[in-house]
Amino acid sequence: MSRSANLSAGTIDIATEGTPFFAGSLQSVVNSYTARLPSSWTEGTTFSQLRRRIFRTVLWQTIQNSWLQLGVMALLSAVLWLALFLLSADGFLFLKNTIPADLLVEVIEVIFGVFFVTLMIMLAFSSAILLYGSLFRSPDVGLLLTLPVRAERIFVFKYGDAFFLSSWAFLLLGTPVLLAYGVVVQAPWYYYLLMPANLVAFTHIPASFGAIVCLVLVHRILRRPGLLAILAGTVVVFGLAWGVWYVRTALSEQALAPEWFQQIFARLRFTQHRLLPSWWLSSALLEASRHQPVESLAFLGVLVANALFFRQIGVWTAAGLFRRVFSEAQAGQTRRRKVRLHSLDRWLSASLSPLPLQTRVLLLKDFRLFRRDPVQWTQVLIFFGLLVLYFINIRRFSYETYYQGWVNMVSLLNLAVVALLISTFTTRFIFPMISLEGRNFWILGLLPLKRETLLWSKFWFATVGTVIPCCGLILLSDSMLGVSPKILATHQLLCVSLAVGLSGLAVGLGAKIPNFREPSPAKIAAGFGGTLNLILSTVLIVSVVMAAGLPTHLLLGSWTPGGSTIAELHPQLEPLLRWWWLLGTVASPVIGGLFAAVPMWLGIRAFCRMEF
Amino acid sequence: MIDFVHVTRRFGKVVAVNDLCLSIGRGELFAFLGPNGAGKTTTIKMLVGLLQPTAGRVLVGGFDVGQHTRECAQLMGYVPDQPFLYEKLSGREFLEFVAQIRGMSRQETERAIREQAERFELVGFLDDLVETYSHGMRQRTVFAAALLHRPPILVVDEPMVGLDPKSTRMVKDLLCDWARQGGVVFMSIHTLSIAEEIATRIGIIHRGQLLFDGTVEELRRQMAAPDESLESMFLQLTLEERAAQGPVTAREAS
Repeated sequence: MSRSANLSAGTIDIATEGTPFFAGSLQSVVNSYTARLPSSWTEGTTFSQLRRRIFRTVLWQTIQNSWLQLGVMALLSAVLWLALFLLSADGFLFLKNTIPADLLVEVIEVIFGVFFVTLMIMLAFSSAILLYGSLFRSPDVGLLLTLPVRAERIFVFKYGDAFFLSSWAFLLLGTPVLLAYGVVVQAPWYYYLLMPANLVAFTHIPASFGAIVCLVLVHRILRRPGLLAILAGTVVVFGLAWGVWYVRTALSEQALAPEWFQQIFARLRFTQHRLLPSWWLSSALLEASRHQPVESLAFLGVLVANALFFRQIGVWTAAGLFRRVFSEAQAGQTRRRKVRLHSLDRWLSASLSPLPLQTRVLLLKDFRLFRRDPVQWTQVLIFFGLLVLYFINIRRFSYETYYQGWVNMVSLLNLAVVALLISTFTTRFIFPMISLEGRNFWILGLLPLKRETLLWSKFWFATVGTVIPCCGLILLSDSMLGVSPKILATHQLLCVSLAVGLSGLAVGLGAKIPNFREPSPAKIAAGFGGTLNLILSTVLIVSVVMAAGLPTHLLLGSWTPGGSTIAELHPQLEPLLRWWWLLGTVASPVIGGLFAAVPMWLGIRAFCRMEF
Repeated sequence: MIDFVHVTRRFGKVVAVNDLCLSIGRGELFAFLGPNGAGKTTTIKMLVGLLQPTAGRVLVGGFDVGQHTRECAQLMGYVPDQPFLYEKLSGREFLEFVAQIRGMSRQETERAIREQAERFELVGFLDDLVETYSHGMRQRTVFAAALLHRPPILVVDEPMVGLDPKSTRMVKDLLCDWARQGGVVFMSIHTLSIAEEIATRIGIIHRGQLLFDGTVEELRRQMAAPDESLESMFLQLTLEERAAQGPVTAREAS
């Protein structure tokens, strides 16, 4: 067969080396190539194979290299799942035994409604955010768009990743609650059978909705950059206004009183709106648990139909918009931005003047990098903002004498929560710093700078960055709860000890077990070193809280409505508690110091010997 | 085969490419030259469909890139300046993925991978994970992926970066062969000696304006500098005062 005949027949002729292969007319060459474009089905199976292959390699590598991380994750997930199951079963049992049957139905509907509405909103947001990252920031999209791939195929491929990442937590949180409910109400077998199908169909609805919003919003925002500021401002203002209104009006009755419950129920009735997918899910499960399989299947049908509908809308949106939006996003990334010395930098530079110049310059550099990376500071801001809101509202407990014991307990728990939050931040942001610095070590390594100076600057950066929010938040919490000055002072001492220990641990371990191959700080934090850092941080927090926090509250805090302490109730325990408190208070800074000094020493030694 | 029809691309107020008109036919090895930030990569990104023009049209094999992106992509093999490879795939798996997306059959895929692996000396590493590859090996793998379906149009952005002298020689021969066999090579390059050595035609862009389009000999004649190297002429041409004069092409002059 002649070459031109071969080409016109629609086959790509992979000729042997050195022979001409673009013979024939231009049209016949073009036709022979474009006729080979794969069908949508072939494209789909090719991408499925790609996903399978990547997953297989990642799983194999994780089992081989990060078995500790995998084991800890599996164990913690199992513990969390079991705890949620037991807690939910206990809660449902309590409701079943204490509330009349007709009221129980209403209560369960409200609980399910609130639970699923919350998850629905979280799923929509998380899938939109994840999809934005994977569609517009992921380097492989640049490759895929230059291949003859349908735009909607790239969307479906990336949507699959975003869906998995945003919904696994939902399944982890949702299944124990729903299983516990089924067990308590003695649901029939098909309740358990229909549950996974309902959950999967439901999760697709907010995830697809989030994906559509992501595409349309990015398209609109990139066309009009000012819109983002207006949109964000509106959401923040309305969110704050609604929060203030809700706190001031909804909780006007005495907390936990019957009227309070009635008010809360009335306010939460919107979660059962008939057009909300969360209500369809709730109804599908409740009908199945009430031995109504036909009704349950009808709701499942509604869920599946809507899931497919929203997914298809997402596919059509991507087919029409994605390439254009990607092109616009590329243009947005290349926009130049002039940066200048911010007043915050000047303030920091002035306040750090007692430190050596080199340390000061390195600290300023780290601060600038942090300040200019919205991914980092927005996470910090959101979590600390939520805690501040919580601490401000917690004040209500201190007004009720009945809750004096709670106040004492809550203030201790707040200390532990803030410490755990700080530990996640040191693991997520401080631990990867040395690994990331190692990638740019050709700059720092050529400067007249001792390597330990680099580590000490990171330590001070982390310490200052954790002491201020830790002490500030606990001061706010203690002030709102009205705890005694002695407890407040002890808390501040513990905060400093914990912040120093957590910072030294993250910097030291980060230098001892760096990962120079990984560019993503999130992935570095999720690796073996990061997991170890998180485990040791938890050990430090438990040690300090048990050594000094617990005896402080047992000795000085009130545990009865009348304000009596444990020592007053059981005088024979007072000497023991006093010694425990005294020794623990002295030991806490020592423990914090040790958790900082040992890893720092190990880290400095390893970092000074390291070859780049 | 490739046509830029009054193509303009703006980034906000910055005009990266201004009213570009350019046609490249079969058998041409076109070297696109220009200083950093001149608009070369923007032009290439518009050609391969990553960016859409603010005005004008880019045609590949008669298809508008903006409207028939898949058809255009099928006609091209693209080697970017910063290539991406899936780290968790082996070289063979990556090449298989690209071949399947291009609609190649199993037999064609196996044969093409074997040929390209031998050509780019990847045989010993093909089943290793990409994350273990050196920069040069990655670059060779990207070349292999771009050539798998023997595209009539080859678009390469800085092709020699990271290649050792032997691979550089091999790539130069390959690009020349490609054009000789009737294919089109659109190449952006900073190494002017290589452009002078292998290109059948050059285009010089500066601040988004196409300053010259023609052969090296035509440039010498136009600049009345019969003994000058391409490097000297390029530096003279891209001086600011010359850029201000606007586009001049040898073809237009002729």
